[in-house]
Amino acid sequence: MKFFSLLKKELREMLNIQTVCMLVLIIFMMISMGGMMNKAAEEESEESGKITICDLDDTTFSKAVLHFLESPVAGMKNEVNVIDVTSDDYAAELKKAGVKSFVIIPEGFEKSISEGKQADIIYVSRMSSLAALSNVNAGSEVAVELIGAAVKTAIYQDKTSKGALTEAETKLLEAPLNVEEQTIVANKSANVKQILLYSSLYSRSLFMPLVVYILILLGSQTMINAVSAEKLDKTLETLLSAPVSRMHVLSAKMIAAAIVALMNAAVYMIGMNKMNMNAVIEYPDDFKKTMEDLGLTFGIKTYLLIGVQMLLTMLIALSISLILGAFAKSIKSSQTLLLPLMFVTIVPFMASMMIDVTSLPKALRYLLYVIPFTHTFIATDSIIFGKTALYIGGLIYQVLFLVVCMTVAIKIFTSDMIFTASERVGRFGKKKKAHDEN
Amino acid sequence: MANEEKAVLEVEHLSKQYKKGVYASQDVTFNVNKGEIFALIGPNGAGKTTTIRMIATLLKPTEGDAKIGGYSILTDAAKVREGLTYLPDEAGAYKNMKGRQYLQFMSEMYANSKEQAAEFVKTAEEICKLGDRLNDKIETYSRGMIRKLLLARTIMPKPLIAILDEPTSGLDIINALEIRRMIKELAAEGMSFLLSSHNMLEIEYVSDRVGIIAHGHLLETGKPSELLEKYEAQNLEEVFEMVVNNSEIL
Ligand SMILES: Nc1ncnc2c1ncn2[C@@H]1O[C@H](COP(=O)(O)OP(=O)(O)O)[C@@H](O)[C@H]1O
Ligand SMILES: [Mg+2]
Repeated sequence: MKFFSLLKKELREMLNIQTVCMLVLIIFMMISMGGMMNKAAEEESEESGKITICDLDDTTFSKAVLHFLESPVAGMKNEVNVIDVTSDDYAAELKKAGVKSFVIIPEGFEKSISEGKQADIIYVSRMSSLAALSNVNAGSEVAVELIGAAVKTAIYQDKTSKGALTEAETKLLEAPLNVEEQTIVANKSANVKQILLYSSLYSRSLFMPLVVYILILLGSQTMINAVSAEKLDKTLETLLSAPVSRMHVLSAKMIAAAIVALMNAAVYMIGMNKMNMNAVIEYPDDFKKTMEDLGLTFGIKTYLLIGVQMLLTMLIALSISLILGAFAKSIKSSQTLLLPLMFVTIVPFMASMMIDVTSLPKALRYLLYVIPFTHTFIATDSIIFGKTALYIGGLIYQVLFLVVCMTVAIKIFTSDMIFTASERVGRFGKKKKAHDEN
Repeated sequence: MANEEKAVLEVEHLSKQYKKGVYASQDVTFNVNKGEIFALIGPNGAGKTTTIRMIATLLKPTEGDAKIGGYSILTDAAKVREGLTYLPDEAGAYKNMKGRQYLQFMSEMYANSKEQAAEFVKTAEEICKLGDRLNDKIETYSRGMIRKLLLARTIMPKPLIAILDEPTSGLDIINALEIRRMIKELAAEGMSFLLSSHNMLEIEYVSDRVGIIAHGHLLETGKPSELLEKYEAQNLEEVFEMVVNNSEIL
């Protein structure tokens, strides 16, 4: 009974009106932002799915190529929009056609091919934003690929009917087109397939670490504030002189902070999901199978393994905050105490997002491994790419780390250190930070 | 010392060193009897809070022991906590709670059943005299109101002894007076108190016996009237001065 009273009180203190309002606001912002982004992405993908092409060659062969573009390939039917390009002011022409990219089949296209030469093709696109997905001109990319395929077929049929291919012709078959890329503003071409893969993995590779990061930061903050407020208001003295188990006082705090952090994480997950653009990108029919073949889909087991990692990391962060909060001299200093924790969180967070941690030089790699949170940030990678030893090693390390932290926290709260320690915060604060990092 | 067997608190040679070799409190010995108000008086840094925190089982004594209701703070801390309540100096309360919620929560910490908790809350509501303000958040309370709320919380489980560290410090005259009156009334009903104060004049009126503490040493104990007579002094401040000057330990 006393335990539940404690838990209720902790939740009430940690979940005050302000924090709840913040959560609601965040969800609202993310959903409305998601709606906006979805709409933009929808328009973008609609447009980029279309092939816009201009036939300046106007020969039998070029017409056949246009026809080929319209025929369904691999279950996807392309919408072909033939335009007239009258000048080489491509920026103006793009504007006139109202598209972000188009392909030009220049004069002499058929002639080059019949002469056994590489045929020119002009690919014009405009870069409108730095956002990765805004630069996908799927339609034109597809067009270039298809034209290449059409040319290959033509050469192949033409030549093989006449006899064996010469060496030059074989070379031509390998690269039948000379694509002249005209990028307006800047040039950034992307392989569609890669983009598809990336965008579908995006949610896990970026999103999981982000949730972990939020879990750690918000959890720690809640905990440090709760402990330091209780210490500074001397309500902790009252509580610890009351006939309640100190372990109950501690565990109520841990559980309440964990609940609050998980609620935060859930909010971010829901919000991010709404913002996620995956829904509007159309994947080829066999895409899911391809992902499965590559081992890139997540089963229950994977989610469980990642979940265990996340829980461990959160408990570590909470127990460290519990210790840090015990040393706070003021609410402000409790925020300062958060800094070292934030530092050791952000380093592996950034590192794991930008690079493959396992490919780092040994010294650097082990330095990162020493930070318990690293193992959660790289857990997804480790599981997908079969680095089982690393995953298990990290898990064991985290459990040990948690046991040490909890032991220290319990020691502080069940002895009189909680009341004598803060006087030494200057010295001890530094010691604590050093401890975090090793 | 006729009522020694009636002592609810026995403090025996209690000492505390925060740093090795430096005593914040040294060899403190005194008793508090049933229904008695005992006050530790001394200037800031004398060692009052340190002594009180040891008795409240928050600090481990370096030497010595204290017993509440016969239970030792060294070996039976859990039992000791059942017999005492403690009001820290400059204490606050959970700011997001309403006054009544705070009383409810604290009553659950001391009560063994729901009925008992409800009873505690009722007692506290009567003692604190905050009326409808109990439905407001503690954030909105003045210092005096918070102190009354906390005092009511300290009293409500009817402990063997209520330990109040500087119960009137930081309050205006009216509020301090009210708090002192509350304490006196409750003691008349048989409750025991251990108080501390650096204000020696106010303590003269509220306490049955005082202990003069300076530099960690308890130098003198006795009824205020006896001490005034013994030292031929006008008030306890003068007594304090003489005690400190005559002391052989310091
Ligand atoms: N947590 C602590 N760590 C180290 N020294 C302390 C601590 N608390 C109090 N002291 C020292 O112990 C002495 C007694 O302090 P205290 O018991 O708070 O006195 P009082 O309550 O009578 O004002 C002072 O010299 C004070 O500086
Ligand atoms: Mg004090």
